[in-house]
Amino acid sequence: MDYKKKSFFAPFNSLKYLLKDPVTIRYPKENKKTYPEVEGVSPQYRGRHFNDLEKCIGCGTCEDICPTGAIQMVEFDDVKEKNGATKKRPVIDYGRCCFCGFCVDVCTTSSLGMSREYVNNFPTPPEATEDTQGEIISKYFIIRPDLNFSKNQGWITDNNYSWLELKRVVMGIFNPEERSNSFLEIVKGYTKEEAILEARRCVACGLCKDACPIHMDIPEYIMAIFNDDVKESVKEIYKTNPLPEVCGRVCTHKCESVCSLGHRGEPVAIRWLKRYAVDSLPLEEYKNVIANKPIKQAGKSVAIIGGGPAGLSAAYFLSFMGYRITIFEKEAKAGGIARYGIPAYRLPEDALNKDIDFIKSLGVEIKTNTNIDKNMFEKIYKEYDAIIISTGFDLPRSTNLSRNGMENVVGALPFLHDVREFLSNKISDVKITDNVLVIGGGNVAFDCSRSVARLQKMKFGKVKVTQVCLETPDIIPADKEEIEESAEEGVTLIYGMGPKEIILDDKGNIKGLDFMKCESVFDENMRFNPKFNENERLICEATMIIEAIGQAPDYSFIPEEYRSKMKFERGKIVLDENYSTGIEKIFAAGDIVKGPDIVNGIATGLNAAKGVDKLFN
Amino acid sequence: MNQKELIEYIKNNFKGIENIKSIDEKQFSITVQKERIINILSFLKLSNFKELALITAVDWIKEEKIEVVYILFSYEYEQQLIVKTYIDRQEPSIESIKNLWEIATMYERDVHEFFGIDFIGNDDKRPLILHNWKDIPPLRKDFDSLKYSNTIFGKFKKDKE
Repeated sequence: MDYKKKSFFAPFNSLKYLLKDPVTIRYPKENKKTYPEVEGVSPQYRGRHFNDLEKCIGCGTCEDICPTGAIQMVEFDDVKEKNGATKKRPVIDYGRCCFCGFCVDVCTTSSLGMSREYVNNFPTPPEATEDTQGEIISKYFIIRPDLNFSKNQGWITDNNYSWLELKRVVMGIFNPEERSNSFLEIVKGYTKEEAILEARRCVACGLCKDACPIHMDIPEYIMAIFNDDVKESVKEIYKTNPLPEVCGRVCTHKCESVCSLGHRGEPVAIRWLKRYAVDSLPLEEYKNVIANKPIKQAGKSVAIIGGGPAGLSAAYFLSFMGYRITIFEKEAKAGGIARYGIPAYRLPEDALNKDIDFIKSLGVEIKTNTNIDKNMFEKIYKEYDAIIISTGFDLPRSTNLSRNGMENVVGALPFLHDVREFLSNKISDVKITDNVLVIGGGNVAFDCSRSVARLQKMKFGKVKVTQVCLETPDIIPADKEEIEESAEEGVTLIYGMGPKEIILDDKGNIKGLDFMKCESVFDENMRFNPKFNENERLICEATMIIEAIGQAPDYSFIPEEYRSKMKFERGKIVLDENYSTGIEKIFAAGDIVKGPDIVNGIATGLNAAKGVDKLFN
Repeated sequence: MNQKELIEYIKNNFKGIENIKSIDEKQFSITVQKERIINILSFLKLSNFKELALITAVDWIKEEKIEVVYILFSYEYEQQLIVKTYIDRQEPSIESIKNLWEIATMYERDVHEFFGIDFIGNDDKRPLILHNWKDIPPLRKDFDSLKYSNTIFGKFKKDKE
């Protein structure tokens, strides 16, 4: 290296800088701004925290991540309660805080940020001795991060830079061409690798647990999936949910709507993770995983009328408490609305059977094809120690159209029932025409129109289904996916129209339906009370009409002497806190208590089971 | 000289290099034995790597080693050179390079404070940042910040107001 050999002119070399601008700041003569856009320290400075208390949901992720234990969640009285949020808010101890900013990086709502204020230069109070130092610090250095510093924002998170994985693992779904000519399940389900990736997104805040009607241990079973321990996961699921195959597919997933990750990105696919866990463990393994012996022997017998989700749920929990259970089911197979109301492309037969078979294996007796009438009810009442009524909403509601003798007008539930029977080869054919009109805007209506589309494709090779609902797109009760997927399958949806009368041709067959414009669906008290404008009309041609405008309960099997003692409110039975109907040893569960929803059915099943147990203890 | 020529030059003129590799077009790294560290650094200083940008360390707790890192810079070649050496984790010590670069005094003080490495020949061990420190050096991987926080300050009590 020849760096020692220097030119004679080397010192003069520096003269070339004489007329150039200096690159250094000649302080204090000059005071150049380091950050042109802001005054003072770096725009990403990590100083004291600020927290938007209204935006914060109190998930506690900041408390969990803090490497120095400086954050504690404290209940605040002056924050408004809202759905999917706790009343806890973080309080930060600046004696411990190391200003790493982890809490900001993982904040699920991006309510927590750091300011460019840094005034705590930690002068140890002069009176502090080694013993009292801790006490002084906890008294003077604990600061609640509210809006004080929010005008001077420093380090905040945005979605481009986040420790949270905001995007869901994409779920495989069959495309419309593949799925529309059969009743194969649409959603393919996660593979092991995908499930672990999806489970990794969960921050285990537990907000979902509060939102779930049966309070499933969601963070625990997701953690087990992440650890690739499916057995542990199924064990956690079965603590609270006896129908996980059903819930893993068709639950209304209130958990996902409050998921803390949903504030900045997509919520964790809790429902599909549950489905992955139960799908990947065979039924034979269940016995080794779930404790299947009753804790004690109660020696009492309980009759459950109706083998739907609520009845099965009550049977599951009661059999653990040591009761002898008999379920009376009027259909050929148990499952209720889960079997005869939900189409096979959403809930396949095998999945449902797996759940029911496990409940049967606990010693629950299911008497199928047994219809309960008044005499039978009296007999059961004498024979058993307690009765749980869980008959559900099984009568179809009808529109006010005059339909005397018209064969081609059917209700949603009988239609879906026939489709299920047709698929399991119980009946040879479902009555269907090549131009069908479905009335209704709920999930059941979409189930009907999508089933019709599939049957038409199988039978006629082309789809012609029109669905008409009262609601406008903003208040339609069905799920968003249903609307999108049905459109992909060829269903035409018309919003904001109510039926007026059926148009017949000369021979008395259905030719079409006359609709009128629906101005408003709800009245001032938010009650269902549609108002129509008869001047705006629409005529839809169709040769068959399916009415899917809701279901109603059927209490005709209960003898008058009992029914007169029960209280009813808008079709539902009013219960006391023990889920008793007011008559000794008669309890109720399911849709007839809380309205149509499978997971609520399971919750009421559990509560009725608890009520029965309370009666005998 | 470009980076390739520099690597060749160093390889040919200095013995005892364990590993030399390019990181990107402006950076390359050299690994040497602990005993050879002063030799390599003085050789590099003479070879136009005149600036000592930083001394730092990495705690490899599983391998029971601490990696000491010297970052040099050459204005002439516009290259950054990372010189690494591994020392024992139980009794971490290495010779000071304060006679090569005066600024190393401060860097070594800093590394001693945060990693507990003893720089033989540098007696200035006064802490620069930590206040009343009584635990193991905080950038060691076995330092538990939560436990430290709880022992020093006690368990976090709620705001009493």
